[in-house]
Amino acid sequence: MNRLDATRQLVAAIGHDPGTPIIASLGHPAYDLFAAGDRPANFYTWGSMGLASSIGLGLALARPALRVFVVDGDGSLLMNLGSLATMGWTRPENLVLIVWDNEGYGTTGGQETATAHGADLEAAARAMGLSALTVRVEKEFGAAIARARTTPGPWVIVAKVRESGPDTKPPLDCVFIKQRFMAAIGTPEGATRGASIG
Amino acid sequence: MNSADTASPQWAAGVCAGVHAAGSRHVVYVPDNPLSHVLRILADRYPDIQTTLATREEEAFGIAAGLYLGGVRPTVMLQSSGLGNALNALTSLLLPYQIPVLILISLRGDAGEWNAAQVPMGRAARAICDAIGVTHTTAESPETTAETVHLVGRTAFGTRMPGVCLLPRRLTVPLATEVTK
Ligand SMILES: Cc1ncc(C[n+]2csc(CCOP(=O)(O)OP(=O)(O)O)c2C)c(N)n1
Ligand SMILES: [Mg+2]
Repeated sequence: MNRLDATRQLVAAIGHDPGTPIIASLGHPAYDLFAAGDRPANFYTWGSMGLASSIGLGLALARPALRVFVVDGDGSLLMNLGSLATMGWTRPENLVLIVWDNEGYGTTGGQETATAHGADLEAAARAMGLSALTVRVEKEFGAAIARARTTPGPWVIVAKVRESGPDTKPPLDCVFIKQRFMAAIGTPEGATRGASIG
Repeated sequence: MNSADTASPQWAAGVCAGVHAAGSRHVVYVPDNPLSHVLRILADRYPDIQTTLATREEEAFGIAAGLYLGGVRPTVMLQSSGLGNALNALTSLLLPYQIPVLILISLRGDAGEWNAAQVPMGRAARAICDAIGVTHTTAESPETTAETVHLVGRTAFGTRMPGVCLLPRRLTVPLATEVTK
């Protein structure tokens, strides 16, 4: 499966609920999420490489009643492996971390990551006390999403994917992305709401 | 200063009171020695403030951003050395998305420092904040720390911009209680 097809499968499975958040790592994971279906509850990062899982963790801790999905990249997670340790410690049941493992930095030209040379992100997640699995085909991925949606996490799903080569980009305005996202998940930012004087 | 004061110094109690007054109920941190006082007081006296330990300061800001998206006013506590570990989170996440965080930096490398490895980043901390456009205010005395932290937090959350309160060494480790840890 390629990353765009898998992202479409994810959005088809969970995207119908307008309040279910999906946090996307910078570059191609965010581009593919946009291409699979732009929705207000998508949070596209434009930088902060590595921090998508941390943003998801903070959101999951703040909003235990929401099931929080993160679409990360293998290169990005490798930049912030400590995040797995913090997830293993804090253990929010409502956090689902999906890692698109294309064994490379697809966004910057396809240079290989360590996962092309034996690094095993599923094993790293397990070593931090997390429930983790690796999927390689649509059927396995669908089953993993179904399980992660309905059983307590935190879940780490490492999805081995091929590069998709996206040709569209999400909105560029970061404040727009944030405000639209916060309104969609039910925590509209105070400054967007208006208030009585005094 | 008696031993009870040493265990619960006024500046540290002021930090906790300021965080609480600013409406922040979640502190994400990487510890340092002076901040241990703040952490102990939070644990003892502030059951409504949650704390989360991050493995790295950059990660702490990512977690804080997620907390904010979920409707919580976050505080991040770090040592000045950790500012270097956190710069990309500030410049490519908090600033462009206008995500407010109350940032408490335990300053090292300023007057009273004994560790050369702390000096360059400690000396640069203010200039780095200026260069990336993050406002900073220094807590000047134990008596005014609560108010300073409160005001920095109020400004951050009101204007939706991160704001730094620096906790200098003359505040957190006055000579009479100097420890070389
Ligand atoms: C701190 C930082 N370092 C490097 C980059 C350049 N960069 C942008 S995307 C990317 C690759 C991300 O790889 P991965 O997370 O595996 O996603 P993929 O593109 O493979 O889908 C890199 C290195 C950056 N934006 N920020
Ligand atoms: Mg990749």
